Amino acid sequence: MTNGSSAVRSDLRKKRRFSKLEQGYMGFILILPWLIGFCIFKLYPFISSLIYSFTDYDLFKGAQNFVGFENYIDAFTKSKNVKALQVTFAYAFMTVPLKLIFALFIAYILNFKIKGVGLFRTAYYVPSILGGSVAIAVLWRALFKSDGVINTILAMLGFDSINFLADRSWALFIICLLRVWQFGSAMVLFLAALKGVPEDLYEAASIDGASKSRQFLSITIPIISPVIFYNLVTQLVQAFQEFNGPYIITNGGPRNATTLISLIVYNSAFKDYKVGLSSAMAWVMFVITTIFTIIAFASQKKWVYYSDDDGRG
Amino acid sequence: MKKLIACVLTLVLAVSAVGAMAEGLTFSWWGGDARHEATQAAVAAFTEATGVTVENTYSAWSGWEDKMSQYFASDSAFDVNQVNWNWLFSFVDGEGKSKMYDLNQVADIIDLTQFADAALAQCTVNGELLAIPVSMTGRIFYWNETTWQKAGLETPKTLAELMAAGQIFAEKLGDEYYPLALGTYDKMILMVHYLECKYGTDWVTDNKLNYTVEQIAEGVQFIQDLEDAHVIPSAETLIGDGADSLDKNPKWMDGVYAGIWEWDSSASKFGAALSDGQNFVVGEYFTDIGEFQGGFTKVSLALCIANSAADKQTAAQLIEFLLNSDEGARLMNSQRGIPLSAKANALCQTEGLLDPMVAEANGKVIAWCKNGLDPQFEAAALKNSDGVYADAFDGLSYGDYDVEEAAEVLVEGINEVLGA
Repeated sequence: MTNGSSAVRSDLRKKRRFSKLEQGYMGFILILPWLIGFCIFKLYPFISSLIYSFTDYDLFKGAQNFVGFENYIDAFTKSKNVKALQVTFAYAFMTVPLKLIFALFIAYILNFKIKGVGLFRTAYYVPSILGGSVAIAVLWRALFKSDGVINTILAMLGFDSINFLADRSWALFIICLLRVWQFGSAMVLFLAALKGVPEDLYEAASIDGASKSRQFLSITIPIISPVIFYNLVTQLVQAFQEFNGPYIITNGGPRNATTLISLIVYNSAFKDYKVGLSSAMAWVMFVITTIFTIIAFASQKKWVYYSDDDGRG
Repeated sequence: MKKLIACVLTLVLAVSAVGAMAEGLTFSWWGGDARHEATQAAVAAFTEATGVTVENTYSAWSGWEDKMSQYFASDSAFDVNQVNWNWLFSFVDGEGKSKMYDLNQVADIIDLTQFADAALAQCTVNGELLAIPVSMTGRIFYWNETTWQKAGLETPKTLAELMAAGQIFAEKLGDEYYPLALGTYDKMILMVHYLECKYGTDWVTDNKLNYTVEQIAEGVQFIQDLEDAHVIPSAETLIGDGADSLDKNPKWMDGVYAGIWEWDSSASKFGAALSDGQNFVVGEYFTDIGEFQGGFTKVSLALCIANSAADKQTAAQLIEFLLNSDEGARLMNSQRGIPLSAKANALCQTEGLLDPMVAEANGKVIAWCKNGLDPQFEAAALKNSDGVYADAFDGLSYGDYDVEEAAEVLVEGINEVLGA
């Protein structure tokens, strides 16, 4: 009996010990594969690129000299790099608002009870799945070339054709348009948020005589503002990292009109072999993205409303 | 059942292990469809003859250089590689050591006596033979004779005839028709050809640009004159066509653009791209540009063994088979230009395997071009789509630069690359 109860106690102690181990290390063990991947494929390149950005690292010759801030000075003084910075800002500031407005507009329409709405939702979401692919970028170029489908339609309607790919302003616009066209994922999030807006608020507002536009501005927008904020941040980050569209559709042309920073990063490293400069440009892009993200987070106190007790995030 | 599954798994593992042990070669090249087919057939014949398996990787030129530079830089290049001539000078590590193997070390396998010393010298850097040149090439005009005939003209024999053709094309065929189409790099090579015909001097020697800003401005003006006379389309028109390269441009395929200035070793893909009923012919060099026979020839491409290759002897066997064996020569024929290997060349001539047009063009190039080429001419910083040549000539065509400014952009950019 005594032996039996001591064995049970010993078992319990073991289980308790294992349970403590489980509590202390099991979580860590479970995330270990991810952690290893993160350290090798994210953290190491991240830190290396920072170090390389202060050297004259050449793709073939490696880093031979420490050059201080020379690459960063080049990033802000060489005309090609300065132009790329300007184009990237123009791209981001054109793409993000257009995409958010368009996604919200379509989500608003699809929130109505209309026949075949499921089909429309699917149709509008599909470009998001296809959008980043090389094939779509090639298709986009075919659509907008001088004798492409868009110009054929313009000619049929009696308009002059537009050289979309070769005109500096139009070229940037069609690159933006490709990104705006991929509004599906933002739209789905807006749609989910719109469905969460309580109907009784609209009813109360209607009784008080508020118009539809007033209801939209004073009820819908504040309530879905957390989702607007989320979409704003993610779209901003994506816009600053855009590569496929300008690389495949215009290759940065004409006359660098669509050369974004990401293209400079690629071209410097793999065409000119200047990995040091490329790393510096990547860090410039990272810092810019971080600054805008911080600004967005700081500004949310003024316009984003959460349903917490204090009503603010 | 369990035993059966265990047996099957063991068998699969054993087969995989044997497969992993029986290492073959890897081989990479760029080119058009005809070259891909010919090379695949030659590689299959090599495998049949030797039992060595070869894994092929191939593509069009577009984007290929970026990819290969990454492979070579990271010491993960394919065992045997088709390389561009200037790569021999740029794929070098920090200690000045090439990423390519010295083929003198496998001279017992590759019969180097089949190649002229001068040709091998062009692929020798610091005493190391880094690649075997496959053929020599140069630029020459090719015309779509059918379009020229539609315009009521014969293909041009002089620069004056070409200049006059621009307006005739516009009047008789329409504004979208042009006698010649030139990409940015084509413009640069034609300009150098023009200046060398006028002045006779090599473009660059011993890392020194031999032309003054004023002389280069003359060349730039020549290119501008071609555009002004409706001989070539503007950069804006070509970019608007939305094609990766001229041979993929529907306007070339349909005869709207009626001429190109192309390497003799790669012109056949332009002929193949034309729609039915159009006649593709080799042009003549113009004798009314200047008193010299300007223009350069260069090694069109070469085959090398990467330093990182595990089995260099077998890799050398593949090069020997492709370039010097009867079977390799028969299958590869003139898909990489007229073979420099004396044995392959003789066999192809005897058996009539050379594409007559490639042979005609190469004969004209070799007979005409008297200038040499500096490897830095094709340096990435100059030749790339965002490089110095593109900046100067696209800037000129878009009206961002005048002739003098474009010449200065060229001189400044070239001197920076040359380290002058």
